[in-house]
Amino acid sequence: MSLAVLKGRFDNWRQWELNPIVIKELRQAVRSWTVTGVLLLFLTLLFFTSLFFLVAHLYVSGRDAGLGASMFSAFLMMLAAASVCFVPLHVGIRMGMERQQGNPDLLYASTLTPGSIIRGKFICGAYMALLFFSACMPFMAFTNLLRGVDLPTVFGILGFLFAVVCMANMVAIFMACLPASRPFKFLLAMYGMGQMLFLIGPLVYMSQELLRSGLGSMMFGRGFWAWLSTSLTMSLAFTGLLYFLSVALISPLSANRALPLRVYITVAWIVTGLLGLGWVLGSGNPDRILPWTWVSVAVMIVALLATVSNSDQLSLRVQRAIPPGGFRRVLAFVFFNGAAGGLVWASVILWGTYLVMAAQIIPHKGTFLIERNTVLLPTLIAYAFDYALLALFIQRRFLSRLPSKTTGLLTILLAGAWALLPTIILFFLNKLSWTTISSVQLGNPFSVLGPIDTVQQLHHLFFSLAWLVVMTLLNAKWFVRQIANFRPPPPAPPILP
Amino acid sequence: MKVQVKNLRKLFGRTVAVDGISFSFDSGQVFGFVGPNGAGKTTTMRIIATIDEPTSGDVWLNGFSICEDPEQARRVVGYVPDSLPAPADITVHEYLDFYARAYGLRGAKRTQAVAAIEDFTNVAGIRDKLLNVLSKGMKQRVSLGRALVYDPDVLVLDEPAAGLDPRARIELRELLILLAAQKKAILISSHILTDLTEICNGVVIIERGKILETGTIDDVLKKSAPRRTVAVRLLDAQKALLLKELLQTPFVTNAREVGNEVHFELAGDESAASQILGNLIAKGYKIIEFHQTKANLEDIFMNVTKGGVQ
Repeated sequence: MSLAVLKGRFDNWRQWELNPIVIKELRQAVRSWTVTGVLLLFLTLLFFTSLFFLVAHLYVSGRDAGLGASMFSAFLMMLAAASVCFVPLHVGIRMGMERQQGNPDLLYASTLTPGSIIRGKFICGAYMALLFFSACMPFMAFTNLLRGVDLPTVFGILGFLFAVVCMANMVAIFMACLPASRPFKFLLAMYGMGQMLFLIGPLVYMSQELLRSGLGSMMFGRGFWAWLSTSLTMSLAFTGLLYFLSVALISPLSANRALPLRVYITVAWIVTGLLGLGWVLGSGNPDRILPWTWVSVAVMIVALLATVSNSDQLSLRVQRAIPPGGFRRVLAFVFFNGAAGGLVWASVILWGTYLVMAAQIIPHKGTFLIERNTVLLPTLIAYAFDYALLALFIQRRFLSRLPSKTTGLLTILLAGAWALLPTIILFFLNKLSWTTISSVQLGNPFSVLGPIDTVQQLHHLFFSLAWLVVMTLLNAKWFVRQIANFRPPPPAPPILP
Repeated sequence: MKVQVKNLRKLFGRTVAVDGISFSFDSGQVFGFVGPNGAGKTTTMRIIATIDEPTSGDVWLNGFSICEDPEQARRVVGYVPDSLPAPADITVHEYLDFYARAYGLRGAKRTQAVAAIEDFTNVAGIRDKLLNVLSKGMKQRVSLGRALVYDPDVLVLDEPAAGLDPRARIELRELLILLAAQKKAILISSHILTDLTEICNGVVIIERGKILETGTIDDVLKKSAPRRTVAVRLLDAQKALLLKELLQTPFVTNAREVGNEVHFELAGDESAASQILGNLIAKGYKIIEFHQTKANLEDIFMNVTKGGVQ
């Protein structure tokens, strides 16, 4: 978005209106019996819980110094159950129903951008969470009049819970956007619901710990702020990733769906990497870079599967956006739709991640974990590329009648087949033993993660790198063709009078 | 051309729903889209409305490709689906207001547009009712209002008359005639072919995903029904004689009694019909009625389709 467009928007701030989706969703939520019913049930439970605590307190011998904290914990548990389970489920189900094939709800065929639809759904979820928080507020404020609760802790815990609900909403929206059938989405919703229920326990436990220690006393330590900023950045990065994925999923096929996603992942990778380096510098422990390293590698291996599934044929609107030449065209090749550019992008980030991690050995003394990862990580990365490039080669050369989006699936099938088939065949031949298995483990990325010695690790590393060279050579012709094809479309012939 | 459909093809797995169809029509034209169930009408209309994407081929709406510029294309197309809106938690006014907002109408402009469309579709009196309590006819009006609220140039209506009572059907027909007079390009599918005959300028007949006939109604009639049927009624009982006479007349076939009339098919133009009438009068037949029964959409439909589905 150019500066002029941004300036124009701010100049016309009087004409700003709320996202239409938010208005529609909130209007419908207010009328919905489900939302109203759950809210009334929630208020009733809050009322009877407080009544129970107060009555029980009268019969307890000696005064409970932590009554406020006990009541607050009980309220928090109910708030967590209502907001972490119900709100994401409501938002996800509504969106999932709208995305069903043949649904007459035509908002996805309006001029609303995919971004504004997802933002609208997300904001609506946040509003609904606020509704539950507001309903709980008078009861929570009441606990402050009793003993055992301090205000910074209350606000801290509520803020944290709200962030968790927002993140859960984004997960629900993302799941609803997946191009899957209704039964599959139902299973996903059930799984998500189960995960959310499991989340409540640790959430309440953590809140109780915070209530016990008090947030106010922790705020003066440097470690608290480092922890807070890291948690916030990671949560924002994760939520942002799901947002961009959801937007890409509901965008038209002809749109440049990869561009915002690849740019976002690159920026998030750099920001979180800097944060990881900050942790290493602050603590002097190079192992602190490993969480960032592993998360980056995991995200990028999934991205690699999606990348090789990109079509080789760019839509006309994407072709029209290709810069005529120079460095901008190189950047466009890397960030625009297309498997070839995506492979370059994934390579840069994956091998960049490895280099940043390996570089930690130089200023710091290498620890066992870092040294193990300097062999393990390149092996895994190379294997990921090996299978992706093999699937790409097979799909483009032999299975070109199948759509290119099957390449990612083919990659998984190939890796899974080599991991499982030899074991199954050996079992049926009655030759299954540790010796026979270890002789067919080269090429199996899962065995790298198992308990293998250094020599075997090195064998895997050399094998995966050699395989990568072969796969690169096999796909070289295709890759060069993709570079040659990545150019703006020829100008349209002039219209004759 | 407002709407140009070119080599449109849509596959669902191995099933070919739409098989390389092409047609076009312009502003102010109402095109009927007819075919047996499962012919590919709804799929084609959903593609034109930018809801589904074609496997290959393209559609241009006011010059915008639905594949390359779907965001621009959907600004000019309004779609009335065969299934009607029925959320239980939104009123007619809120529903129309939402779509006005969704299409970028702001402030007073939106308020005016929604009020105007409520008046035009005659739903102003029920604007505060929830959608799920409305009758089918009223829902159809709301659906039409939703498609019209941002004043699109192209309207695509999928079975808008299905299940409506005669009065609602007549009112819908009048609304469409009004819209055509406002220079909107309209594509309408319906199984009620008599209704279509009255409002359509052109027709697209589709079966098994392929176009069987397309063009203006007159062109299609000429092409699909080159023979005209002529009915003759006599004052006295000379039908047997007349039948014999007609069967000896060149270009006349299939002469038969139908009630108190004699019908025959004539492979010639109007001057041939006039010549036959003159001959019969000259030979003393007391003719009190001589008229051509033109083939209509139903006849053409029955002639060209076989009732097959994919």
